[in-house]
Amino acid sequence: MLFSELYGGYFHAVAAVLKEAVAGTLTDQRMTEIIRGKAFAESVLTIPANLKNSTWPLLCKDNTTPLLNVPTMPLTTLQKRWMKALLLDPRIALFEPRAEGLEAVPPLFYPDTFVYFDQYNDGDPYEDAEYIDHFHTTLRALREHRKLKVWFRGHTGVRHSAECFPYRMEYSEKDDKFRLLTVGNRRCGVINMARLDSCELLEPYDPDLLHLPRRKTEALVLLLRDERNALERALLHFSHFEKETVRLEDRQYRITLRYEREDETELLIRVLSFGPMVQVISPDRFIALIRERLNRQESCEL
Amino acid sequence: MAYNELIKDFEKIRDYMREFYIYGFKSREEYDAKSARSYDNERRRIGSWLGDYMGFRQDAAGKNVFLSVDSRSIPHNPLYQAFRAKSFTDKDITLHFYILDLFSDGAELTSGEIVNLILERYLAQYEEPMSFDESTVRKKLKEYEELGLLTSRKRGREVVYCRSNDQAIDLDSWMDAAAFFSEAAPLGVIGAYLLDKYQTSPAYYGFKHHYLLHALDSSVLCDLLHAIDERRAVELTVRNLRTGQENQRTLCPLNIYASTQSGRQYLLGYHYRGKRLLFFRIDAIKKVTIGNCDKNYETYLEYQKRFDLNLWGVSTSSERGLDHIEMTVHIGNGEQFILDRLEREKRHGRCEMLDEHTCRFVADVYDALEMIPWLRTFIGRIEKLQCSNPSVVDTFYEDLRQMNKMYGGGGHAV
Repeated sequence: MLFSELYGGYFHAVAAVLKEAVAGTLTDQRMTEIIRGKAFAESVLTIPANLKNSTWPLLCKDNTTPLLNVPTMPLTTLQKRWMKALLLDPRIALFEPRAEGLEAVPPLFYPDTFVYFDQYNDGDPYEDAEYIDHFHTTLRALREHRKLKVWFRGHTGVRHSAECFPYRMEYSEKDDKFRLLTVGNRRCGVINMARLDSCELLEPYDPDLLHLPRRKTEALVLLLRDERNALERALLHFSHFEKETVRLEDRQYRITLRYEREDETELLIRVLSFGPMVQVISPDRFIALIRERLNRQESCEL
Repeated sequence: MAYNELIKDFEKIRDYMREFYIYGFKSREEYDAKSARSYDNERRRIGSWLGDYMGFRQDAAGKNVFLSVDSRSIPHNPLYQAFRAKSFTDKDITLHFYILDLFSDGAELTSGEIVNLILERYLAQYEEPMSFDESTVRKKLKEYEELGLLTSRKRGREVVYCRSNDQAIDLDSWMDAAAFFSEAAPLGVIGAYLLDKYQTSPAYYGFKHHYLLHALDSSVLCDLLHAIDERRAVELTVRNLRTGQENQRTLCPLNIYASTQSGRQYLLGYHYRGKRLLFFRIDAIKKVTIGNCDKNYETYLEYQKRFDLNLWGVSTSSERGLDHIEMTVHIGNGEQFILDRLEREKRHGRCEMLDEHTCRFVADVYDALEMIPWLRTFIGRIEKLQCSNPSVVDTFYEDLRQMNKMYGGGGHAV
């Protein structure tokens, strides 16, 4: 059962509260902090009261508990079956979890049950020993906050090397690729993991002193005409952006998306894919890009 | 009934969250709720779980609530919070901690022994203790055994229970995998539950083009995967997303077709009544009832393999057989990336170089109409478009004419 109180915020918060009660360190203030951190915004109105008035007889008046042990819960069958399914995923080699203890567990699903029919065909080589090795080194740098020296090929094929501070490993399901985001060197803000030739761990750094680049986003304003189910298609298609939709009049909507300038070309062709159902009304630069494509199309047909 | 931030049934909240997340422009009066209070309660719950991502806008029609997240900027899907909000009874939570405490030292106990220990060890410390009978305890033990938390064995005529042993699993070694796959694998919410077991979890993973909404369909997907695993038929309650009408469909589920670009997921199954393979959007499935094993499963899987050879997306509507389509694309100097795009993005078919600057993409698909959005992404480079289904070419050029008009172009007739 996927939707179960066993995995819920309340059980989780109460387990953490009881852990401190078993240790004899629980205070009312601490209880509130734990609940705020592990449950929901309004849970502080219910959990402490239920524990204090013995509706849930788990805590005594002096914040001790009749429980003898720190609460722990074994993994459920569902969790183990999901973990076993991951062991069949080609990407699992990148993360090196230990398979012991799952030998007799059937997987929850098999990779071939899923068909990612519009995923790009040139995904990363997850079974390539060098790729896996680079990935492990990079993950270690991220985990241990270590600088990294990288040797890689740029998109033009030119080789580069640089020292950098890695801060994020980004995955795109559509591209089926990992990209490493780094700071500290202008040459390698984003490195496609498949283009890494080599990498080497360097000294640790203090992550609190690292200034991550501020993401520069711009607003794209679209006018949508709800024909051929365009409203649902577009809103779902663009749902991974921060967005706001306003209904203007019957079947007309204004959608405002926030996007990053570096993704403009990709967004341009995504907007084009909606044809006349979607009209860009701002920014002017984006409109000019669409006009340029349309003009070029006319030239193509002459 | 007094407001509670927890919920018993996921289905209603699934609808509200979808509406707030996808649309977010409807006013309170437009929600098809039983009462205004029902709407207010659901909105308050979602606010309690996801307050940081909730926005409000006031317009002439009233106050609109929306959920907005840039999925690239967050390491974990916030919609999983809804799955952590299952309601329970006072006895459920109390018994949970008592039972796991009693078994934590590896003890083997019968249900009767557990009741006695609960009375002596825990409830004796309270003035007005909660009452438990043995049948309640036995029911809970059975439930926990089914969930895999406990195991049982016969000892003479008695059944004794003990805690499941998962100590061979090195959970620490799974932390990175759980953090990544909780976002990048099916039923990632299970990974999110796993991450709750750690003090902290890695925040250095990011996800681009990441559709968070799939999370809300996890229960349905989980039921479908159980049925697929056991090769069982299912009865689906499917709601038409436009009309709201609900229908029952009985089929043998085979595969999940997931789009990485449209945010949609589909079930492909063999529909018994129609005697053919059919797709169902998973977000339209309201209920899955698992039925009997189907001995023809392998045969249907063979159908699927053949069927897949000419599927572009999920449309099978063509009665004409296959549509043959050819698109000739111009590749300028230094524009190798266009050829790369064609090779990378084509799902079927082939690319033929006609000369140094011209490439022809050729494919045979069930329904070329569903290729139009992809064809439009090559606007600016299409020299020729031909299709055995004339409406594909007509629609493409009519849309292009409208776009030219829309953007003030059209110097040349299209």
